[in-house]
Amino acid sequence: MAQHDIVIIGAGLAGLRAAFEGVTAGLNTAVVSKIHPLRSHSCAAQGGVNAAINPADDWHHHAYDTVKGADFVGDQDSIDMMCAEAPQAVLDLDKMGCPFSREDDGTIAQRAFGGQNFPRTAYAADRTGHAMLHTLWEQAIKYGVHVYDEYFLMELTSENQRATGAVVMDIRTGKLQHLQAKAVCVATGGYGRMFAANTNAMTNTGDGIAHAMRAGAPAADLEFVQFHPTGLLRSGILISEGVRGEGAYLIGADGQRFMQKYAPNKLELASRDVVSRSMVTEINQGNGKNGGVFLDVRHLGKHLILERLPQIRQLAMDFEGVDPIDEPIPVRPTCHYTMGGIRTDKLGQSIALKGLFAAGEAACVSVHGANRLGANSLLETIVFGKITGKDMVDFVKNREGRDGVATDSTHAVAKVSARIAALKARPREGGVRQSSIREALVNEMQENCSVFRDEARLNSAWSAIKAAKDGLSKMYIDDKSEAFNTDLITALEMENLVLMAEGTVATAMERKESRGAHSRTDFPTRDDEHWMTHITAGYDPATREVVLGRDAVRITGNPQYAPAERKY
Amino acid sequence: MQTAHPQTTTLRILRGTVTNGKLVQQNQDFTIPYDATTTVLGALEYVKGEIDGSLTFRRSCRASICGSCAMVVNGRSRLACKTKVIDILGGNEAKNIAAASVAVGEANVIEVGPQRNQPVLKDLVVDIEPFYKKVKEILPYVQEGPEKEENVTKDSFSQVNMVSNCIMCGACYSDCTAMVENPSFIGPAALAKAYRFVSDPREGNKTERLKELSEKNGIWDCTRCGMCIDACPKGVAPMEAIVKLRSLAMEAGITHTEGAKHAMAFKDDIATWGVLNEPFMLLKTKGVMGAIAQIPNALNLAKVGKIPHPFPFDHKVEGLDEVKAIYAELKKNPLDVKTKAADSGPGAG
Repeated sequence: MAQHDIVIIGAGLAGLRAAFEGVTAGLNTAVVSKIHPLRSHSCAAQGGVNAAINPADDWHHHAYDTVKGADFVGDQDSIDMMCAEAPQAVLDLDKMGCPFSREDDGTIAQRAFGGQNFPRTAYAADRTGHAMLHTLWEQAIKYGVHVYDEYFLMELTSENQRATGAVVMDIRTGKLQHLQAKAVCVATGGYGRMFAANTNAMTNTGDGIAHAMRAGAPAADLEFVQFHPTGLLRSGILISEGVRGEGAYLIGADGQRFMQKYAPNKLELASRDVVSRSMVTEINQGNGKNGGVFLDVRHLGKHLILERLPQIRQLAMDFEGVDPIDEPIPVRPTCHYTMGGIRTDKLGQSIALKGLFAAGEAACVSVHGANRLGANSLLETIVFGKITGKDMVDFVKNREGRDGVATDSTHAVAKVSARIAALKARPREGGVRQSSIREALVNEMQENCSVFRDEARLNSAWSAIKAAKDGLSKMYIDDKSEAFNTDLITALEMENLVLMAEGTVATAMERKESRGAHSRTDFPTRDDEHWMTHITAGYDPATREVVLGRDAVRITGNPQYAPAERKY
Repeated sequence: MQTAHPQTTTLRILRGTVTNGKLVQQNQDFTIPYDATTTVLGALEYVKGEIDGSLTFRRSCRASICGSCAMVVNGRSRLACKTKVIDILGGNEAKNIAAASVAVGEANVIEVGPQRNQPVLKDLVVDIEPFYKKVKEILPYVQEGPEKEENVTKDSFSQVNMVSNCIMCGACYSDCTAMVENPSFIGPAALAKAYRFVSDPREGNKTERLKELSEKNGIWDCTRCGMCIDACPKGVAPMEAIVKLRSLAMEAGITHTEGAKHAMAFKDDIATWGVLNEPFMLLKTKGVMGAIAQIPNALNLAKVGKIPHPFPFDHKVEGLDEVKAIYAELKKNPLDVKTKAADSGPGAG
């Protein structure tokens, strides 16, 4: 057992930014991560981070673009706060040493991103997330954040609706430990691995959200899954929206641009949900090749490609065998980001479990509503990492968190230990391999719960969820050892991913309208009268099923934010 | 692009377990299907998913940006996610010094093993703590201090950007030959990271850093073999960063180290005689007592013909005037260190 003031699960941008607040406020702050912090998937974010830094820009416009991009189901107070705080949050990172790209006069350079009225995306070449993550890791070293490197979250513990800590496993030795904390923050990212085609790291299995649900903190907005228009056709590896920001075209098999049919003003830079639907429509109408269309940068010229898109070019060459200087890149809409997460108040605390906080993709604050704007995810991590971090500090210093809650660590560890023993004891004979559960699940989710959905498809997906849950009860592992048992880890991740998939399908069935990334062909229009609400998804340990509820969208009364038709 | 009858090949994995503190390793062969896009990571995932779940390796992003899956594939350290099976089998690799120096394995076999220069924990997983401990030793964060420049321009980060591509995968550390001889050497990744700060205009303690880096196990311990440049999957070229750090350190007057003295003696010899004079260089580098201590070594080397004629004054070098003219020109128009070392790959002097 170990005691900390603040324990943060996840060492990506949101987790490390929150840790910075904890440690610089003088609190005993620990970060737990199943992979080394620099391996966190924040490092893969390419394009940039939105902030109204330019004097000609205005954060109110950024906020409006975000409210509209969210298809009016984002929480307006959080959105206002995020956009108002954005410039300072970016300048904080700059001051810490993040090498943001510059204009001639030394100011931070900004580029155009989709769904926005101003080029307000700050960037560090085409590896913005990587540069930011390394910078925050450097700060964690500087200030001495205690990092539990390669420790896996086994359970979030609570007493009387109050978070008390986390049971974690030291992956290197297999030993379990209860970390007690006055405040716990989940910053474990999303769960995009439930789709066959995705841009996500193999580690993005929704661990923290699933455990929060089990501990009594419901998730929300799980039905809203973002399909990024430009994943590489074969591998799903991400090609940044920044490429379209630099002027790339989307073309069909016929070699012609097609976005003028769907978004006559913004064209390739319409909101991501709009572009993805357009691409799938083109493919369905026969204008695709091998299930994809093409991203064309040839007209940008060799010089610009080499200077501004070097990493992108390398990815296309390595994973698609195409040099974008000479040939268009085969792409298709690919699961990229999960808008859903642990439902929190506007400062990041769970609406149900006191002392449990969430930040970044694992949270549903909700600044993205039904559809996230490009470059608002990095922004969310650094703004809400900071805000939630500060709120945790306040919670620990001045509020309920002052008094720790007595908790039985021995019991908590024993319970988890028994679960592991049971999993290891499952026989191969008559059992199910985790790879077969995963394969069936991700293909079904891709086929029936992705860009376009309807009742029949969702019913099929629901049957697949039941089959996956049944499979989990028979899932066996080959590796029975203690040290570095990645077989065990991936099995436990599968349990988390299946719960997240159950929540995603259940909420997608519930929401009988089309809004943002949730597009039901049987309910093709937005229905503000019935569905201007978040759908929550909790977990009932008795039935072992997801239970749905509602949580109101937080409205500020700003008349400009009144729902209107979304046109790009 | 699935074919009806996929080709197969052998994946030979050097597996290992640690029992009572002792590592036992053994090769195990697996047959894996592959097509034009199969990566070594994909092949490992196939084995783990379909054949043996106990196979242990790190992986995460699959897109060569997280740095988890660096391992030794057919003799060289690389990212498994970025290495394609057909490229290894077809010998489709860029020809370079490192590749040529590695023995070519059995045909139609892909050999995979854990990274070198680091303790193995299990199968392809090594202990990354010593590597990160060294990175932390260089104090990897921008520091406040007297040398901080307030003005940043469009080009200010051109050097920073070169090295900040680093994903800390450890491939350079694994292939570092200096590390084999001196495990305390801080290594290419940590030094590239150090250059990231020294070259950042916002860094306040550049000279202090250069002093630290000039000490034992630092910049002068690199043998400039160039393996790190070849191993790096992100084009960071750590050795170039090391060369630049050396030049910057000498420019800053940090010349008391053996490495710096050696470099200066080297330059003096060439500028004066047009050739090297090993005994004198030794004297200048290590001092009188140090040089005397090296006499047994020198005799051994002389015996096997590894030391040229010990008396330099017999040499008459052709074109010495041209060499002197070059040095005179350099003195008049000194090159910017940052560009001077840009082309300092293996064999570039």
